[in-house]
Amino acid sequence: MGFLEERDLTDGRRLKFEIFRFNPEDSESAPHLDVFEIDEQPYMSLYIALNVIRETLDPSLMFDFACRSAICGSCGMLVNGRPALGCKTLTSALPETIRLHPLPVFKLVGDLSVDTGVWFREMVENTEAWIHAQQAFDPDGQEERMPDEVAQKIYESDRCIECGCCIAACGLANIEDGFLGAAGLNRICRFALDPRDSRDDSEWFEVVATERGVFGCIGLMACDDVCPKELPLLEHYAWLRRRALRAS
Amino acid sequence: MTRAATELPVPASEARRQLRYELISGLSGLGLAVFMWGHMLLVGSILTGAKGFDWLAGFLENYYIAQPTVVVISVLFIVHAVTASRKIPAKLEERRRMRDIAKALKRPAPHDVRDSDLAFQPHLESMLWIWQVRTGLVLLVLGSFHVLLLTVDVLTPMFGEIAGIESGSTLARVSGGLWLPYAVLLICVEFHASVGLYRLAVKWGVGSTLSRSALRRIEQVLFWAILGFGAVTLVVMAGWLDPPLAFLLDGAQ
Amino acid sequence: MKPDSMIATDVLVIGGGLAGERAAIAAAEAGLDVLILSLVPPRRSHSCAAQGGMQAALGNCVKADGDSPTLHFLDTVRGSDWGADQEVVQIFAEQAPVAVRELAHYGTPWTRVRPGTNRYHIKGETVEIDEREENAGLIMHRDFGGTAKWRACYAGAGTGHSALYALDSVVAKLGIRVWDRAEAVALIHDGSRCHGAAVRCLRTGSHSAVLAKSTVIATGGYGRVYGQYTTNATINEGGGAAIALATGVVPLANMEAVQFHPTALSPSGILVTEGCRGDGGYLLDKNLDRFMVDAEPEKQELASRDVVSRHMMRCIRDGRGVDSEFGPHLWLDIRHLGIEHLTTKLREVWDICRDFVGVDPSKELVPVRPTQHYSMGGIRVNKDGEAYNMAGLFAVGEAGCWDMHGFNRLGGNSLAETIVTGMVIGRCAAERAAGSSIDVPTSLAFDAIAAAESRANAWLSRDGAGPSVFDIRDRMAETMIAKVGIFRTGSELTEAVETLRQLLGECGEAVLQSRGPGMNPELSFAIRLEGMLKLALVTAMGAAARTESRGAHYRTDFPMRNDAEWLNRTLARWPDGAAEPILEYEPVGLIDLPPGHRGYGADERVEMRRSVEVYNGSVDTEQTRLGRLPPGGPTGSQLKWGSWRNVT
Ligand SMILES: Cc1cc2nc3c(=O)[nH]c(=O)nc-3n(C[C@H](O)[C@H](O)[C@H](O)COP(=O)(O)OP(=O)(O)OC[C@H]3O[C@@H](n4cnc5c(N)ncnc54)[C@H](O)[C@@H]3O)c2cc1C
Ligand code: HEM
Ligand code: HEM
Ligand code: SF4
Ligand code: F3S
Ligand code: FES
Repeated sequence: MGFLEERDLTDGRRLKFEIFRFNPEDSESAPHLDVFEIDEQPYMSLYIALNVIRETLDPSLMFDFACRSAICGSCGMLVNGRPALGCKTLTSALPETIRLHPLPVFKLVGDLSVDTGVWFREMVENTEAWIHAQQAFDPDGQEERMPDEVAQKIYESDRCIECGCCIAACGLANIEDGFLGAAGLNRICRFALDPRDSRDDSEWFEVVATERGVFGCIGLMACDDVCPKELPLLEHYAWLRRRALRAS
Repeated sequence: MTRAATELPVPASEARRQLRYELISGLSGLGLAVFMWGHMLLVGSILTGAKGFDWLAGFLENYYIAQPTVVVISVLFIVHAVTASRKIPAKLEERRRMRDIAKALKRPAPHDVRDSDLAFQPHLESMLWIWQVRTGLVLLVLGSFHVLLLTVDVLTPMFGEIAGIESGSTLARVSGGLWLPYAVLLICVEFHASVGLYRLAVKWGVGSTLSRSALRRIEQVLFWAILGFGAVTLVVMAGWLDPPLAFLLDGAQ
Repeated sequence: MKPDSMIATDVLVIGGGLAGERAAIAAAEAGLDVLILSLVPPRRSHSCAAQGGMQAALGNCVKADGDSPTLHFLDTVRGSDWGADQEVVQIFAEQAPVAVRELAHYGTPWTRVRPGTNRYHIKGETVEIDEREENAGLIMHRDFGGTAKWRACYAGAGTGHSALYALDSVVAKLGIRVWDRAEAVALIHDGSRCHGAAVRCLRTGSHSAVLAKSTVIATGGYGRVYGQYTTNATINEGGGAAIALATGVVPLANMEAVQFHPTALSPSGILVTEGCRGDGGYLLDKNLDRFMVDAEPEKQELASRDVVSRHMMRCIRDGRGVDSEFGPHLWLDIRHLGIEHLTTKLREVWDICRDFVGVDPSKELVPVRPTQHYSMGGIRVNKDGEAYNMAGLFAVGEAGCWDMHGFNRLGGNSLAETIVTGMVIGRCAAERAAGSSIDVPTSLAFDAIAAAESRANAWLSRDGAGPSVFDIRDRMAETMIAKVGIFRTGSELTEAVETLRQLLGECGEAVLQSRGPGMNPELSFAIRLEGMLKLALVTAMGAAARTESRGAHYRTDFPMRNDAEWLNRTLARWPDGAAEPILEYEPVGLIDLPPGHRGYGADERVEMRRSVEVYNGSVDTEQTRLGRLPPGGPTGSQLKWGSWRNVT
């Protein structure tokens, strides 16, 4: 069939998972690694593997999945140190020993589960990531026109699923409280691209051109490398920088 | 992690200040990097022998090209050091954290080598940045010393009958032991400059013309080419090799 | 947001998907205080997974010329196999264009009309069509199943994602409070008026009460009752429907109407959108034969989903499926659409094929098979969205049965329903809240919290040897997929009911293994399990009782639609303490378009015996008898009687 089949040689591997455990609600819990062993199955994703572990070995294991199809952004985690979506990561692409940690930067809920919701809501509020429309909606009118090329450009940047992988991978976001990170800058870019948004260059300038924003970024480029939606994050940065320059 | 909802937008004046910092550190870096290419070529004149070197030095000094350059470069050097190092994390703990992340961030394993951890490398660009900081600090020390030395060399003749830069003293001090700090300085400066330029290109222009991997290749070529040229120069100055291009000036005796 | 033990608000919205967020916006715009609860951050709700499109009769491209809400009405009623409430369909079709344009205003990057020559794939042929210059830049449409015109508005293959992000940005803009990782585990009510919900915090495991003047349930579908045999997210466990059922008085409607989507990936069950076929993709059997062309010469791959799914299953039963270690499947062929199309307009499909089955759809065939996808049924509400028998309780989106889908939903109608119900019903809920005050005896709230806590504690304190909750869940899922699936028979359904009853009993004996403090994922699931089993049982019993075939409900032992006896809607209530639900039936609503052939699928049916006039005469009294609360306008006031005659 496809290229997966060639790599999906299920040679009956026994996978060893080393999983970070900590339950902040439990006063007796201390951070540590637990080891679990399970048999690999064909097409096994970390979504499947973690559920097998939870349902057969340790039902207290906390992790987040929802869509299990790489679209909702729930399941970011560190897979052998690298941020990735658990549902999209197939065990066949990993070595036998798989180390899982929760994403750093975000507040830990428990084990592999982190609070991305609050972080992203704050980011949205801080950058006012919504359309600042000139006019109120007219229910009887026709929609405002937009060239399809522009729509596609916006869509390309709108595709971010707020999984937080780019934030976790960025050394700067890990030490700098409040740095918007790739996801935040991408979100700014998405609205700055949108002709429906009435904010002009000078207003954008105050959001973008700060050390929390695009001039905080030191170009580590890890964000671009880990983004599971393959967003052209660096391109968006360069665009924002050039735009900020023009706006000043 | 919580943040005050009032942080953004910041006042335009603050935003403009950030933009200025960014421009200054970037432009001064760019300026220094471009200067370094020229500088390596000029110093490379030693490959043609002492005569060529002295002629060039004399020319630059007599026509008052060297003196203002020295001043400008010294200023750029200081300005760049100040503006660029504002990005260096202040706390040791923070620098450690950045390094740990860079190390943990391995490239995805190619599928055919899934069993081997060897296919995993620390995240390149994150590591490059850390090395940029480290080399920057070396530059701060060795570079300052060198610039000071040469500033004296270039400027003192204006106040007396002393020779400026000349092959004699250069060869003497380099072969006398300065070759070692120079070698370190050379590696650091070439690394720092080529990575810095690569990063500048990505930060301001990626996607518009060249892809990131193309830029990386250009960066590597630049690095090795100039490093190689500089190394040969250094070997000649240390006296371990006769000027290989001396024949060019043979007829000009 | 930090949980308090008691929180008051004007409008409580349970669910942060498209429907919930749109309803919350409606209430906030009316100046009310709103609180949204969600199991996950709202942007992770399952609405984000919708790919293909949202139906609205804007009529912007050439293949949509002449489209109108009336045609949309016709398609939807036919699609529903006449199970829908036609007045509701009318309201829906009229409002869908407004709601879609409003989303454009909120920022959804709809794909737009490109003027000039466009190349499309229609019924196996490549055609070039000149889109008109005067429509340049308007919202574009793609073809979907069961529609007369191209009508589905779309943003690449990420329609739900883009729409949800746009709505959530407005939620943030209006400063609407969101409490994520919070689960409504019971409604606070006095038997006839709803006052909010008891909530379990999924960060800490603690319980609180949220008191509200209006409560809106927007919890989406319950596909996880089918375990892994669903396209739904893991969070689609029917929590909203379950807590409504648990009131003992609110009925769930048409739960047996379960949609199977033709093209879910084999084996993962992840959906690839109907837009693949809408844009010209084919279904192939193992001989690479386009079997749908013979089966449905007129609509081919674009008949309604129930019809296509059945043809696919027949094809597999006839031995024309492709064998694999995960069971037989068929092929979806989208190679001819070209890589450019696949990586833009079907971008998420391309990603999914690559990431989850390792297929490059521009070169290879995609393995698909029909899989549980959507619940037409849900909490029964009147045309204002208010639940039967429970004032102040509303339901929107997939969780509700407003009933515009009847027994089969058309592709793209669900996303449109979420925002239309959110807008229309959200306003009704806001009006109701504005006109009332919170005068709840606090004991009601404390009792609700205490009951929820004691249910959780009962789980934690049960010891000994009992079955595991995951085991019960798996047996429920196997039963549902094997016996309450695409083809159903009386005997299998009876067996299913029997098994589910037994599982419900076992649920009371199941024992947990983890008892630690905090959220405890095993406990969280255990708390939902009883509700899920009840939803499964209601579904199976409804299916066993309905001795006809209508839309997605197909009985091999009663293969014909029976308008003489079954032109009605199943209502299931589960009285307090009862061992099983009570099934009752109400008329589907006023009939304007009389029952007939859908235009695809089988054309054999048992005709109505009563006249339409007599049928219509019974609607109001029958529905009121079963608990329908009086809506704002009289029944039928929003029907445009006979308007469809002008277009057929
Ligand atoms: C893969 C897929 C693709 C689809 N594609 C299309 C398409 O192209 N076109 C189309 O028209 N339709 C499509 N649909 C159907 C459509 O997406 C859904 O019907 C619709 O999004 C449901 O929206 P909703 O707002 O009602 O519920 P959801 O988006 O499912 O939201 C439910 C919300 O309720 C919350 N919740 C649930 N239970 C509780 C509880 N107990 N307490 C608190 N909160 C709770 C959840 O956290 C969530 O926020 C698709 C469906 C699937 C599964
Ligand atoms: C004096 C000692 C120096 C120090 C401490 C220093 C430090 C740094 C640091 C920390 C950065 C990263 C800044 C950022 O990411 O925003 C940087 C960037 C850079 N440096 Fe230096 N540097 C020094 C000297 C030099 C010299 C001599 C050159 C020229 C050869 C140079 C060229 C560059 C360039 C081109 C950049 C990229 C600018 C950017 O990314 O914005 N630096 N330097
Ligand atoms: C201020 C202007 C400068 C002048 C006039 C100057 C001049 C010279 C001269 C004459 C030499 C030969 C060795 C010697 O005489 O000691 C030399 C070598 C060198 N200089 Fe500079 N220099 C300048 C700035 C810098 C700076 C800013 C750097 C980097 C931080 C630098 C890095 C080097 C290196 C690495 C060598 C060794 C060259 C080689 O091996 O090819 N110089 N420079
Ligand atoms: S930019 Fe990419 S990595 Fe970052 S949050 Fe969005 S999808 Fe995730
Ligand atoms: S990793 Fe971080 S520093 Fe910038 S380029 Fe990406 S945000
Ligand atoms: S579970 Fe939704 S992205 Fe992984």
